[in-house]
Amino acid sequence: MTVTSVPGRRRTFTNAIKRLLLIDLFKGLAVTFKYNLRALYEKREGGNPNQAIYTEQYPLEPARVSERFRGAPRLNLDPETGGTLCIACDLCALACPVDCITVNSTRREVRDGEKVNKKKVLTTFFFDTSRCMFCNLCSEACPTDCLELTQSFELAVYHRSGFRWDREMLEKGVKYVKYNK
Amino acid sequence: MQALLTITLFVAPEWVRNLTGEKLPNVFWAEYVVWPLVQIIVVLFIILTLVAYLVYVERKVSAFMQARLGPMRVGPWGLLQPAADGLKLLLKEDIIPIKADKAIFQLAPIISVAAALVVLAVIPWGAAWATIANVNIGLLFILAVSSVGVLGLVLAGWSSNSKYSLLGALRSSAQMVSYEIGMGLSIIGALMFARTLSMNGIIEAQRADGIWYFLFQPLGFLVYIISALGETNRAPFDLPEAESELVAGYHTEYSGFRWALFFMAEYTAMIVTSAIAVTLFLGGWSFPGLDLIKDPNIYVIASVLVFAAKVMALIYAYMWFRWTWPRYRYDQLMELGWKWMIPAGLVNIVLTGILYVLAMPKSRGGFFDFMHEVNGRLTPTGAGKVFFIVTGFLITIPVSWAILAYINRHSPDFNLDEQRQLQIALRRERLKKIEAQSPAESN
Ligand code: SF4
Ligand code: SF4
Repeated sequence: MTVTSVPGRRRTFTNAIKRLLLIDLFKGLAVTFKYNLRALYEKREGGNPNQAIYTEQYPLEPARVSERFRGAPRLNLDPETGGTLCIACDLCALACPVDCITVNSTRREVRDGEKVNKKKVLTTFFFDTSRCMFCNLCSEACPTDCLELTQSFELAVYHRSGFRWDREMLEKGVKYVKYNK
Repeated sequence: MQALLTITLFVAPEWVRNLTGEKLPNVFWAEYVVWPLVQIIVVLFIILTLVAYLVYVERKVSAFMQARLGPMRVGPWGLLQPAADGLKLLLKEDIIPIKADKAIFQLAPIISVAAALVVLAVIPWGAAWATIANVNIGLLFILAVSSVGVLGLVLAGWSSNSKYSLLGALRSSAQMVSYEIGMGLSIIGALMFARTLSMNGIIEAQRADGIWYFLFQPLGFLVYIISALGETNRAPFDLPEAESELVAGYHTEYSGFRWALFFMAEYTAMIVTSAIAVTLFLGGWSFPGLDLIKDPNIYVIASVLVFAAKVMALIYAYMWFRWTWPRYRYDQLMELGWKWMIPAGLVNIVLTGILYVLAMPKSRGGFFDFMHEVNGRLTPTGAGKVFFIVTGFLITIPVSWAILAYINRHSPDFNLDEQRQLQIALRRERLKKIEAQSPAESN
């Protein structure tokens, strides 16, 4: 037995009508036309997937990042005293798989009311953003919630030295861009 | 100053002299030299600006349909983008490939754009003085000149000395030639009602009949629109410049301003084909209620606006199609052109002819008496209009569909799906045979 032809897809009446009236093509036209109309009358809101226009005009308006996004590092300050929360325990530096944190400290006598304690005090803190892979291990290791990765993602600099963030930059944050909107 | 004014009025066209009340007739210079030149400059300026902004509109429309914003950075809402684009193209290096045929390479874009622009002369942009030349074979002139544009593409592809260009040019010339036939056939039905080839005459005929011919000629309109898409190489028939297969088609090797000329030709062709469709099927610059305007000059301006609005609506439809539908495969394109569009055009002519003769007055050998003579012109009566509209939709379309389906039913078909299914079935047969043999071998 030789096969010369095979029956194609089954031809039902509805399929025939659909093909004749080009229903699928018109469906496509309806979809694109709806998008076009919505783009004209809807208020634009960049990055909102329910909106007809998804585009974020990034340098003109802040770009949206996900809530779990891990970006530029920050050393948090104590909201009451304004001093740093860091106790110079070096745990973050130990946790970092790529060794990009350097914590330097001295032992100093600190007066706490009547008592005088000998205590480790943070002197300098360096964070190399060029080597960091934003894995958040350091932040998880920190016992005082001092080191934290923020949502800021604008880390580009003009020279390699700019990747090395010192304590002041880490505490105050770096401001590069002024948004117009 | 006075002298200048006198000279200006000396060569001014009639309607300007009517306006000022001056009587300084010099018909030859006014009507055949100066006034056409003014019109040409105005039309060229408007069309070239329009072409630049059509590119902008196309980018915006495509962006909106794809949930994007489109050009936004040059000027407010990117409105100065065409200027930036034009400047960029002017400043680009002009590259001619070493092995290209230099003379032809330089000539090709000029042929293309000239063929596209010459046609603008006979398009009726509006009533009375808004047309550059009211040629009595306007439509024929348009079809003849615009098909020269193919030559530009073929020469471009050939002279570039590049395989992509050559393949693109081959495809595009084959496509344009085949769709030109369908286009030429589809307009004949409307011409039967208009009984003239003059572009303004066709519009006047529709005004006299009090109807737009797409109602009389639904099939003709459909075939025309599809053929026009194929003829102007627009999606879904944009095979000559299929980016994914041919880089950029016939203009792969072109850069800078020469490339811009091709682009201009494409968009001008878009305007021209829409203008023909509007003139033939959508009543041109006429619109119900337009005759209420008494001032002749305001009337002309209003008619130009109406015409522009109709053309723009059609161009929007072109863009809408382009950003919605996927591209045809080459064999599908040719099949649609030769097996559907051309026969449909022929069937439409025959059926329209029969219906027209049937509807003629009895004194002229007709059957139904649905037409009467007004100012020496056969015009359908009210019943005749209903007759033509109803038969157009209920007889012409189903009958021609049935005929075409019958013709094409058993014609050999390049059916990828069927071929794949055939291969699968053959393989299954082979496997069965092997299975049937193997137990015998093991025993
Ligand atoms: S985020 Fe990861 S790589 Fe970056 S400093 Fe912290 S531990 Fe090291
Ligand atoms: S783990 Fe936290 S507290 Fe300890 S050194 Fe690092 S930043 Fe400071």
